[in-house]
Amino acid sequence: MADLSCLVVEDSPMMRQLLVFALARIKKLAVTEAEDGVDGLRKLAQGRFDLIITDINMPIMDGLKLVKRIRSDETHKDVPIIIITTEGSQEDRQRAMALGATAYITKPIQAPQVIAKVKELLDV
Amino acid sequence: MDLVKEREAFVRSFLRKGVEYTEALLEESRELRSEIADLRAENARLRAQIASDDAIKDLLKTIERLEKERGNLLERSEQLEQTEQERRDRQAAVEQEINDLANLYVANFQLHASFSPRRVIRHLSDMAGQLVGAAQYVVYLVDAEGKRAYPVASDGLDEAEVQPVEVGDASPVGEACLTGIARVREADLEKATREDPAAVIPVMADGKAVGVVEVITLLEQKEGWANVDHELFQLLGSQAGVALIAANLYDAEAGPLAALRGIEEKL
Repeated sequence: MADLSCLVVEDSPMMRQLLVFALARIKKLAVTEAEDGVDGLRKLAQGRFDLIITDINMPIMDGLKLVKRIRSDETHKDVPIIIITTEGSQEDRQRAMALGATAYITKPIQAPQVIAKVKELLDV
Repeated sequence: MDLVKEREAFVRSFLRKGVEYTEALLEESRELRSEIADLRAENARLRAQIASDDAIKDLLKTIERLEKERGNLLERSEQLEQTEQERRDRQAAVEQEINDLANLYVANFQLHASFSPRRVIRHLSDMAGQLVGAAQYVVYLVDAEGKRAYPVASDGLDEAEVQPVEVGDASPVGEACLTGIARVREADLEKATREDPAAVIPVMADGKAVGVVEVITLLEQKEGWANVDHELFQLLGSQAGVALIAANLYDAEAGPLAALRGIEEKL
């Protein structure tokens, strides 16, 4: 039985699966997947999450808009958010942090980096 | 009368001498007693010193033994620290291996789980951009005549920079399309350019290059190739072509059973 839950919002199936693989190594953490920002909002409306990981560049609704929406939502406004960025997109990263993201991970994604950051934010 | 006086004088003289002698004897006796006392004190001091020396010797032996034990413990502690460090290194290596295998598994799984050519190309882009960490890359497919390689996906480049390439021309892509030989720059990756890209990986199917993934430059934070990058290049080279052909032949409307029609005759 999972004690904690995490929402992964990533449009690339490959990257999403890699994130799920990495997160599966954290005990008692249930992972829910979303394909883009809108799908992410739908999943957020269906339940409570302890952590959200989102890519920035996504179709339909990007990660920045998603962060903004989450922070204005009473239920999830305090949930830590990790954004996934590329090293070069410092501007995006700064905007996301200004909008309320808690931390960031740079691409290419390394599972140990993801696991360490998630454990740190969930205090597990 | 004189005789009596003489006798008295003699007795007195005798007694005085006796007193003197006795006093001298007493004095000598006192001196001897004092010497004996001194000797006893000296003896006691010497005995105490000997006992103290023995105690010191015992203490020195104990110190020596403890020093030896300390040395052994330090040596053991160093061995344990070394073992712990080796364990941590091994764990990090295993973690890295798991990470690499997960990357390879996911890349392979996604490539072959797609019936849509667009999705396969998307996966190729993700492999180049997100797994390998390319800042600039182009994915080319070779046309049916085998004369031209045309770009189907790219990132980090202007549209004008992404143009078809003649198979067999002098460019790295043209050469890879013709020879089917991968070209991976091993040193000075930061100096990679369009003319001398970081990697050019031909996408092979049945011994022919059906496409090329050209990784021109890498993301800033990527200092060099990781072992898994070479494995990913091999995967790209050997599996992406098959996945593309399968996806292209698949008719989504007819469905998977129709796609297998007549297969028993070929078995």
